[in-house]
Amino acid sequence: MNFSSDDALVRAAQKGDRSAFGHLYSRYSRMVHGILLSRVPHSEVDDLVQDVFLQALPRLAALREVSKFPGWLASIARNRANDFHRRSKPHDEFSERSANEEFDPPSFAPPPHSSTEAHAALDAILALPEAYRETLILRLVEGMTGPEIAQRTGLTHGSVRVNLHRGMQQLREILARRAPLAGGEL
Amino acid sequence: MTPNNPEKEMPMKDDYLWDGSGKPDPEVQRLESLLAEFSHTERPLTLPAETSPLSSKPPGLAVQFPWLPRLAAAAVILLASIIILFLPSIRVVLSPTGPSWDVANLEGAPQIGSESISANRSTAKLYVGQTLTTNSSSRVSLSEADLGQIQIDPNSRVRLLQSGPSHKRLQLEVGTIHAAIWAPPGEFVVDTPSAIAVDLGCAYTLHVTPDGSGTIRTILGWVGFHLNGRDSFIPAGAMCSTRPKVGPGTPYFEDVSESFREALHTFDQSEPGSDGASAALATVLSQSRAKDGLTLWHLLTRTSGAERVEVYERFAALVPPPQGVAREGILRLDSHMLDLYWNALDLGDISIWREWEQSTDAHPAPASKQLPAKKELLLKKNLAP
Repeated sequence: MNFSSDDALVRAAQKGDRSAFGHLYSRYSRMVHGILLSRVPHSEVDDLVQDVFLQALPRLAALREVSKFPGWLASIARNRANDFHRRSKPHDEFSERSANEEFDPPSFAPPPHSSTEAHAALDAILALPEAYRETLILRLVEGMTGPEIAQRTGLTHGSVRVNLHRGMQQLREILARRAPLAGGEL
Repeated sequence: MTPNNPEKEMPMKDDYLWDGSGKPDPEVQRLESLLAEFSHTERPLTLPAETSPLSSKPPGLAVQFPWLPRLAAAAVILLASIIILFLPSIRVVLSPTGPSWDVANLEGAPQIGSESISANRSTAKLYVGQTLTTNSSSRVSLSEADLGQIQIDPNSRVRLLQSGPSHKRLQLEVGTIHAAIWAPPGEFVVDTPSAIAVDLGCAYTLHVTPDGSGTIRTILGWVGFHLNGRDSFIPAGAMCSTRPKVGPGTPYFEDVSESFREALHTFDQSEPGSDGASAALATVLSQSRAKDGLTLWHLLTRTSGAERVEVYERFAALVPPPQGVAREGILRLDSHMLDLYWNALDLGDISIWREWEQSTDAHPAPASKQLPAKKELLLKKNLAP
C-alpha cells in the first residue's frame, strides 16, 4: 500500500490498519505535542499526547472526509487539554463555565534540568493569547515551518502568518519588558 | 483561531520566522535554541490490544437486560474458580507469545524482566515489550534471522519495541550495543533518550550514558541519527554524539586531529553565532581535509549568514560542487541541491534516507538501493556471528 500521502494513511487506518495509524502518530505527534504544550503544564504533555491518539483511534472510522484529519486531530488535542483543566478544577467552578470558554494558560512549573532562560522564554509565550501561543510554540519549540503548521493544523496560510507575525511582535514586547527586571537578556 | 481578519493582512517580511528562509532573525534563532529542550521527543505509541478503529460501542445492554450484571458477576466468579483450579496449565498459555528475538547468554546472569537467564540456560527469547538488562558482569547476544545480531555489553538496558516483517525497533535506555545488521536499510531503528539511530547498513556501536547522551561509531555502511528534524549521517569510520533535547551533533571522521575534534565539540555546544562558536568554526574550517566534507556538509545547515558562506567556500574548495548544485541554492539550503552534494561525497545514497523519512520504516528501500549482499559483506569483514 502506498503510504506517501496522509489521506492514504487515514483511509488505511480507518480500515483497521494499525501500522498506518502508527505512521499518522509519527507524522502528527509533534503537532499534538505543541498544541498541548500551549495549554497544559510541560510535565503532563507526553502522557496527554498518547491520550489524544488513543482517543482518536476508535473515533477515526467516523471521520467522513479524510482530508480533514489534521484539523480533526488538532481539535481532539485542544479538547483533551480543556478536559485536563476541567478535571483538575473543582466541580462547582467548572459548572459555571461554558463549554467553549478558553482556560487560563498553564501555570508553568519548570521541568527538572530546564534552564532558567528557557523557562522564562516559554513562560512569556504562554502569556500570549491562545492562537498566538499555539502557533508560536509549533514554530519555535517544535521547529515546524509556517507552511507545515498550516498543513498540519488545518489553518490557512494567512492565519498562520498573522499568528506568527503578531505573536512574535507581542513576544518581543513581553521579553523586552521582562529583561530589565530579570537582569538578563530575557 | 486568529483574532481580527487575518486574510486581509499584508504579507509580512519576516520570512525567517515563516519558513526559515531569508535573513535569519537573531532573536528568533535564540528562542529556537532555548526552547528546543521543550520540544517533542517521540515515544512509541502503545495501543490497546483489543481496540479496533472499526468497532463501535454497543448500546445500553444493561438497560435492556437488567439481569445481565448479575449474570456477569456469576461468570466472573466461575472464571476465577477455574483459574485457581487450573492455574499450572493456564500459566503455560499466559506465557509471552508473538514475535521474539533469540537471546544467547555470553557471560554472567542477564535478566529478561525480573527473571534471570541462569548460567545453565544459555538461550532464551526476548518478546516484544520485554526488557533485557545486563549487570556489570553479564553480556548477551540478540539475534533475529531477518535482521542480524546485536551484542549487548555489561550495564545495559534494552527493550524490544517492535518486530514486524519490515519494522524492527529496539530501545536502548542505557549502555552499549554492537549491531551487525543485514536487514534492508531503514528497517532497524534504535530509540535512545536523545536520538533515533536508523540503520542504513550495516555495523555500528551505540553507547548511551545514564544522563541520556549518546555516541555512535559506524564500522561499516552508514547510520542516520535523527531527532526532531535534526539529522546526522555517520558513515564508516566516523562518529557522532547526541544530547538529550538537542539531538545529534555534527559527525566527523575518527582520524581528525584532536584540535579539530575539540573545536567541533565547542561549536556544537555553543550558542549559534556566539564568539565561541565562530572561533571554533574557524578552526574546523582551517583544518578540514577533503574527506571532512562529511563534517562541512552538515555544518551548512547548522550555520547561517556569513558563517554559512564561509563553510560553503571551504567545502566547495575541497569538494567541487557536482553538476546541478549552485552556490546560491546551497546558501538558501535547497534540499535537492544539498542531497546532490551529499551524494557527491560518495558516503551513501541519500535517497534511502529520504525514503525512510517518507515511509517511517514501514517500507524498506527497493532492492536496487539496498547495499549489495550485506550479510556476505559482514562475513567478509568478520563482523557477522
